[in-house]
Amino acid sequence: MTQVLVPPTPAATPDTRLSGVFLAASRSEWTKLRTVRSTMWALVITVLSIIGFGVLLTAIAVGQWDHRTLAEISGFDPLLYSYAGLNVAQLCIGVLGVLVMTSEYATGVIRLTFGATPQRRLLLGAKVLIFSTVIAVVSLISCVVVFFVCQAILAGKHAGVSIGDPGVLRAVIGGAVHMVLIGVIAVGVGAVVRHTAGAVAILFGVLLIIPGLVQLLPAPWNNDITLYLPNSAGAAMSAVVRFPNLLSPLGGFLVLTGYAVMMFVVASIVIVGRDA
Amino acid sequence: MIEARHLSKRYGTTLAVDDLSFSVGAGQVTGFLGPNGAGKSTTMRMIVALDLPSSGAVTVGGRAYGSLRFPLHEVGALLDANAAHPGRRARNHLNWLADSNRIPRGRVDEVLGIVGLAEVAHRRAGELSLGMGQRLGIAAALLGDPAVLILDEPINGLDPEGILWVRHLLRSLADEGRTVLVSSHLMTEMALTADHLIVVGRGRLLSSGPMAEFIERSGGHHVKVVTPDAEALGTLLRDKGATVVADGPQDLSVQGLESRDVGILAAGAGLTLYELSTQRASLEDAFMELTHEHAEYRGTTEAAAPGTP
Repeated sequence: MTQVLVPPTPAATPDTRLSGVFLAASRSEWTKLRTVRSTMWALVITVLSIIGFGVLLTAIAVGQWDHRTLAEISGFDPLLYSYAGLNVAQLCIGVLGVLVMTSEYATGVIRLTFGATPQRRLLLGAKVLIFSTVIAVVSLISCVVVFFVCQAILAGKHAGVSIGDPGVLRAVIGGAVHMVLIGVIAVGVGAVVRHTAGAVAILFGVLLIIPGLVQLLPAPWNNDITLYLPNSAGAAMSAVVRFPNLLSPLGGFLVLTGYAVMMFVVASIVIVGRDA
Repeated sequence: MIEARHLSKRYGTTLAVDDLSFSVGAGQVTGFLGPNGAGKSTTMRMIVALDLPSSGAVTVGGRAYGSLRFPLHEVGALLDANAAHPGRRARNHLNWLADSNRIPRGRVDEVLGIVGLAEVAHRRAGELSLGMGQRLGIAAALLGDPAVLILDEPINGLDPEGILWVRHLLRSLADEGRTVLVSSHLMTEMALTADHLIVVGRGRLLSSGPMAEFIERSGGHHVKVVTPDAEALGTLLRDKGATVVADGPQDLSVQGLESRDVGILAAGAGLTLYELSTQRASLEDAFMELTHEHAEYRGTTEAAAPGTP
């Protein structure tokens, strides 16, 4: 056997600019993400949620229509039932996003990660980039598929829309952007909280519990605040019809992006100063 | 080359590392010794910029670890042997580390071979035995072929064969001119492995120097004699200026004379000896002595500082 432990030589690293560090960290994060089973399962459940619930609820709604008045149907958003699954999918994506950070703290891998890339902010950026990209691809495909399947079902009742109709393509992409931004928020919460249970509890509290509590506030506070909650802001992006209880699509995008940027900034501040 | 200057780390009211200064040279194995809770792991984490010092600084090869880009090429560390995602395969665990520092994937196969895990590289980290996990951690430390190695308790969980393997590995790494810092709370293991010793207790530097000097300084040696004529021999040796302590009815502990002299004197007086041997102070004894003194010193100050565990 040849001598594999060659005498130490001055480190000859090809590209030690920070952009090189970021690219290497991104490649490393991609390797990490695809080599644990939880990623695959969470993504499978995400796809099934988006497509399954969308198709199921659309089919049920169509079945009920004969008993409805024309007035009820006229205010119908063609994507309302199609994108019902996004409410479930965001929880899967949220858990996966949290785990991207917290599983490393739980297993001690974070020390190897920070040891390999002491530029912690770049590392967080690489994590967010890779995770967002994966979520973007998976949820965009799911959103496109569920759109066409559901519109085919609705077309039987002459209630479907075409992808070329005003606001429809924007709403389809908006559904995927909604998922990506929830994912970024989740990674940020995971980085700040560091414990899986705590981070998931906070995320689910914000997505599931807070909207209900806000509704208990006296009017008009309940509806005014609800507009700006992550859920509603996200839903505004994938709505074709303007609902009075939702922001405009652009407004929803800006609000949810604001939350994501805020979480990323907080995470990138605390990640540097803390012991690992 | 690792250089710590006035390194301190405070957690709340506890001073885990207290004004620690030392240097670790290349080409030798440096043992970092201290009882559990002495601040060894904290110090090692500060070296690789995982923990930030409360005051002081530490450099590796003249630079702060945190300023290094692709540091695995320069410093390899084993800090927590179980630090691997249990669901990730051993090879993939090394693959992501390699990717992060632009280390070619071929090197992953090399280090898997070096640590003897090539056959189980497809297994998930959670399915590896304690010893295999430890080897995986060592493989990760060797991945970038670094000139500096920092290993925290590398023999934990290893079987005797594994311990021997680590000992030889550390020796060969040092012989290649690398800087090897290895911590342990097992003094006997350090005696077999280390050339140089840094001893800490309660976060303070207790001793730093060559291993032999450490043992010599901490009590030297004495001559153990077993004889049926303990009383007569004791009197004889005392007359020659030795200090003799009776450890039992037949056992004597002699200081001030070499075993050769004791043998000659006993033969001259016609006294029977069952056993005659030089007892060198073991590293363990020296270590206990050092940390014992230190514990007492700390014990008195602690009374005045409630809240310190």
